[in-house]
Amino acid sequence: MTTENATNGSSESLLAVRGLKKHFQVGSGLFGRNKLFLKAVDGVDFEIKEGETYGLVGESGCGKTTTAKMILRLEEPTEGTFEFEGNDAETVGKSKDLTRNYKSNVQAVFQDPWASLNPRMRVGSIIAEPLEVSTVMTKTDIADKVGDLLVEVGLQKAQANLFPHEFSGGQRQRIGVARALALNPKLIVLDEPVSALDVSIRAQIMNLLEDLQDEYGLTYLLIAHHLATVRYMCDKVGVMYLGRIVEEAPTEELFDNPLHPYTRALMSAALPSHPDIEREEIILTGEVPSPLDPPRGCHFHPRCPSRFEPCEGTVPVETHPVPDHRVVCHLY
Amino acid sequence: MMTSSERIGDVVLDVQDLRTYFVTRWGVVKAVDGVDFQLRKGETLGIVGESGSGKSVTALSIMRLVPSPPGHIVGGKVLLEGQDILELSDGEMENVRGSRIGMVLQDPMTALNPVFDIEDQVGEALRIHKDLTGETLETEVIDMLRKVRIPAPEIRMKDYPHQLSGGMRQRVVGAIGISCDPAVLIADEPTTSLDATIQAQYLRLLRELQELTGVGIIFITHDFGIVAKMCDRVAVMYAGKIVEQGDVRQIFNNPSHPYTEALIQSVPKMEVREERLYSIPGQPPALWELPQGCSFADRCRHTHDKCLEAYPDVFDVGDGQVSACWLREKETVSAKS
Ligand SMILES: Nc1ncnc2c1ncn2[C@@H]1O[C@H](COP(=O)(O)OP(=O)(O)OP(=O)(O)O)[C@@H](O)[C@H]1O
Ligand SMILES: Nc1ncnc2c1ncn2[C@@H]1O[C@H](COP(=O)(O)OP(=O)(O)OP(=O)(O)O)[C@@H](O)[C@H]1O
Ligand code: SF4
Ligand code: SF4
Ligand SMILES: [Mg+2]
Ligand SMILES: [Mg+2]
Repeated sequence: MTTENATNGSSESLLAVRGLKKHFQVGSGLFGRNKLFLKAVDGVDFEIKEGETYGLVGESGCGKTTTAKMILRLEEPTEGTFEFEGNDAETVGKSKDLTRNYKSNVQAVFQDPWASLNPRMRVGSIIAEPLEVSTVMTKTDIADKVGDLLVEVGLQKAQANLFPHEFSGGQRQRIGVARALALNPKLIVLDEPVSALDVSIRAQIMNLLEDLQDEYGLTYLLIAHHLATVRYMCDKVGVMYLGRIVEEAPTEELFDNPLHPYTRALMSAALPSHPDIEREEIILTGEVPSPLDPPRGCHFHPRCPSRFEPCEGTVPVETHPVPDHRVVCHLY
Repeated sequence: MMTSSERIGDVVLDVQDLRTYFVTRWGVVKAVDGVDFQLRKGETLGIVGESGSGKSVTALSIMRLVPSPPGHIVGGKVLLEGQDILELSDGEMENVRGSRIGMVLQDPMTALNPVFDIEDQVGEALRIHKDLTGETLETEVIDMLRKVRIPAPEIRMKDYPHQLSGGMRQRVVGAIGISCDPAVLIADEPTTSLDATIQAQYLRLLRELQELTGVGIIFITHDFGIVAKMCDRVAVMYAGKIVEQGDVRQIFNNPSHPYTEALIQSVPKMEVREERLYSIPGQPPALWELPQGCSFADRCRHTHDKCLEAYPDVFDVGDGQVSACWLREKETVSAKS
């Protein structure tokens, strides 16, 4: 299982993103005078190894989904590059074959199983759609494949004829997973895949995702704000704050030895799994700042319980206090 | 912080055999079907259960706010400080709501009206229930805001909700919730999750309000983490019934109903990494076609013949922990059906 992967440092990088930025232009005015830029993602680097799960955590609005959308090519980056299987973005962009290859290799499962499936389509057609668009398979082959996919995610072949509303939330999420699997992708972006589901159903879906990963050597980018889910699923975790990764480490290292004051605050706020666990609560003062007008210096300084002189004026740089553990904070 | 024995006093709310049904086109939905629990002064009771298990309908029934039709409270008693509020006239009930039982919503944006200032909104509750006006009302509003630690309340009460921070808005909602010194406060957590840091702020506020006023709190949630952090006792609901109830530590250490045990095992923990999570097969049953026996039978690891024949009695397994499961029949202290 994933614990093995975590120690297996030799595996190849499947996806690497560098300096990724997305600045949305918001507000308008005559002659563009009130042009404002919302820095949703503001210089993000990370690398996902083949067969591993990389987690992105952080509070609402920190830029997780925007990062995912850029990787899925649903959003054009303002700046930055990525490398997939060793080919850089430019090379991929220039070659039609590579672009098509990228698009079928990178799939997604989104949070809301109610909204992400077309209510007027039968489930069979929903799953078949990517196969019809991107392959030359015959109708019968497609129908067979759809049946196999349904079985793979724990549903029945005959259910292909039903509509999304005839399924429960957990079953719809299974349909979303089946559709994402259709083109045999290498990377699946999972944006909060279980947070809309009931507790008893969450474990079913998490275990399904783990099993599929083992079976097909899938690589996942998992976006979640529930830290326990991240600990269960991920090999490596990046913590985002206001569009930037402020800390990253292998999962066990991050949870055992969180360095950044923001990571520590997030962990202290996480709910305990037993009434006897009492965590020291780190109380964050101040508001989550707006990405329209991020604070100077360290973005976290207005809320940071550990801030000191350099924090307000100087942007901290990335350091590696422990090998394979990076943090962006003046304390290190 | 106070210890639980200093904090907890007499029973303030005693719910007995509460039944609320909805008449729908699929049939009669027994959303709440024979629910019993008690809440003491200063105590926090968690009602935990999956979507559709009847938590909100339980709360709405206590508030007598069940939409009717299609809903009807068809049986039971809700004794608030000894008085059955199901017997009250609508007018009398109107008075109880907001003065003896308050409700707080977790999302302060939907709970406050954007077009009125804070003074108006906190004052409104006080005006109706305490019959205050003019300067006395203003002093009381300032006092309430000071209690929930809004800085410079005489100035900030002229603000509109959007001018306050999220944390301050939560505090204002809390102030309204306790403005009339209710005996019972119901917090129904919406399914959408808040950020952990914001949620921690909110939970801390509820704790503070309780220490301030000794209010008994019913916390409705999906999340065993909330129960672990906030509650003294917990009632686990499944398909309209409480399947297990007891002291929070006992329930975590010795769950006596297979559903409770399975739920606790299926939640990943932040403190350790598990190799494999337990997952409960299947999904909760439809409430209009419940099986004859135990409603958890088709998902349970311990189903046996008796489970399919009759819904289990409620067994007392000791120290106030009760369980509706046939497995507990032998080890039980006493049974009631
Ligand atoms: N199309 C857009 N135009 C303008 N601003 C946008 C757009 N999409 C996202 N944003 C803003 O970018 C920021 C990051 O949004 P994003 O959806 O990536 O956050 P997130 O980390 O996924 O949050 P959540 O946990 O709430 O899903 C937010 O401030 C959001 O309002
Ligand atoms: N107005 C209504 N008409 C018909 N059925 C209703 C109505 N309100 C609630 N119900 C039914 O009563 C049952 C219990 O609903 P309730 O809202 O109490 O669930 P809950 O435990 O609060 O769930 P959640 O965690 O999703 O809030 C559900 O099956 C629901 O469909
Ligand atoms: S750089 Fe300073 S303000 Fe920023 S997280 Fe580190 S200590 Fe806090
Ligand atoms: S009564 Fe039977 S089916 Fe129901 S929870 Fe107990 S053992 Fe399981
Ligand atoms: Mg998002
Ligand atoms: Mg509810």
